[in-house]
Amino acid sequence: MIQSALLVTLAWLIINGVDRLMSWQTFARPIVTAAITGLVLGDLTTGVVMGASLEAIFMGISAIGGSVPADACSASIIAVAMTILTGADTETGLALAMPIGTLMSTVGEMYKPVLASLAPYWERLAGTGNMKSFRIQTILCGLFIDRLPQTIILFLAIAFGVEGLEVVINGLPTWVLSGLAAASSMMTGVGFAILTSMIWDKEIGGFFFVGFVLSKYLGLAQLPIAIIMAVVAIMYFYNDKKLLDAKNANAAAAASAGNGEEDFF
Amino acid sequence: MAKTQLSAQEKKTLRSMFWNSGLVFSGFNMVKMEGNAFCCTMAPAIDELYTDPEERKKALVRHNNFFNTHAVLFSFIAGLAYAMEKEKMTKGTVDDDTIENIKVALMGPTAGIGDAFFFNCVRVIAAGIAIGLCSEGNLLGVLLFVLLYGGSQVIARWYLLRVGYTMGTSFIDSVFSTGLMNSLTKAAAILGLSMVGAMVASMVTVPLAWTIDVGQTSVDVLSVVDSIMPGILSIVLVFGMVSLIKKGVRPVTLVLGILVISIVLAFFGIF
Repeated sequence: MIQSALLVTLAWLIINGVDRLMSWQTFARPIVTAAITGLVLGDLTTGVVMGASLEAIFMGISAIGGSVPADACSASIIAVAMTILTGADTETGLALAMPIGTLMSTVGEMYKPVLASLAPYWERLAGTGNMKSFRIQTILCGLFIDRLPQTIILFLAIAFGVEGLEVVINGLPTWVLSGLAAASSMMTGVGFAILTSMIWDKEIGGFFFVGFVLSKYLGLAQLPIAIIMAVVAIMYFYNDKKLLDAKNANAAAAASAGNGEEDFF
Repeated sequence: MAKTQLSAQEKKTLRSMFWNSGLVFSGFNMVKMEGNAFCCTMAPAIDELYTDPEERKKALVRHNNFFNTHAVLFSFIAGLAYAMEKEKMTKGTVDDDTIENIKVALMGPTAGIGDAFFFNCVRVIAAGIAIGLCSEGNLLGVLLFVLLYGGSQVIARWYLLRVGYTMGTSFIDSVFSTGLMNSLTKAAAILGLSMVGAMVASMVTVPLAWTIDVGQTSVDVLSVVDSIMPGILSIVLVFGMVSLIKKGVRPVTLVLGILVISIVLAFFGIF
């Protein structure tokens, strides 16, 4: 099983690696993931057929706004691997896939604060101006570090079975999990705080709260808010333009009046 | 819009930016989100435009700021940012804040458009065709899916990068010739700040789970605080950090502080 586990981990790294170099989220869709897993384990046809049913299952689960309810990619890999390796039927493989998908999402949430604490490191690296090193490290981080715990879980799940993993996760004290989850949702605020401190301006600062209220109280999505505020911004722009035009016209009038007087004398 | 002829240098920079814009999901984290990828994507443009090493470093750090949108429309904003950086360096009409404001203003709407078009439309059509073929064990289904869903995103990413650049150049030129750059900056900041407010409302949460026992009853602190104003804790958190940043506190301190405080508070059952 160790050898198969290594093969499956390799498939996982290839799938995620390609997506992270092309930024198209295509290989991580179950229909492609399942085929690649099948190919690596030497049973392409099973992979392709299972990919069709897995894609249909995960079709409705969308990742809008960056929150993924269940990790479709790892769940698909495990479902296909279990089916091919243990000779179980497709249904059993699928039944195993769901809890693993949820487990992966939980671990992903726990890993977010760790990645977030790297942010200052990246900023310092960008500040050195050595873009070659910045780019290589970003690529390597994307290939190996970004999803390191998921990679390990996947390997362990195939090598030693799924049940043991669930016991370990359930054994963690809940306050560690809820503390990490709280930290992860508040860390997003650091990025916004940096942005706000950059573009803050007393004259227009109030618009922060307009956006906040439109989203929180009225429950509007980003696009409608953007449309409303774009109209406000355009109105502001044309108002300013009118003021400027009037000022220019005044200045021109004053200048021509001045000229007239000079001529007179 | 008039068809603009790109110089060889511009083409070279755009090509290099295109390859870098594939890194959108690499080095992703909750603080910077796609900031690393944006910095990588802008690097060829910055290298072309900046000669002073100190200014170049500052520009790179600026483009490493928080950034988040759909992976394909990402390149449109990068193209626009390239055009603005060029205006800044060649004519000095655009300043750093304007560039940042326009980036921020476009994040939310482009994310919405990208998700709606690629994720909810192209993907569903591609998957529909592919599932039919794959359920019969036909490998062609997988290839078609990659071509339709993946291919369309790659092509769109390339064209949007060019469109962003050419549109940005002609737009900024026309604004500058009328002397309205200052008004444009303010207008962009209005849109940018309100989008930040909207994103703080939907993405930053302070998940209090604190209940205080008062005699027989227990009080849920979060619901009491939210009854004053929903989400007021997110605003307090963000503006608390803004004032700390203005006092010169480094982001690393904030990130680590949040981590430590969260776990300690969670231990006492507050989170």
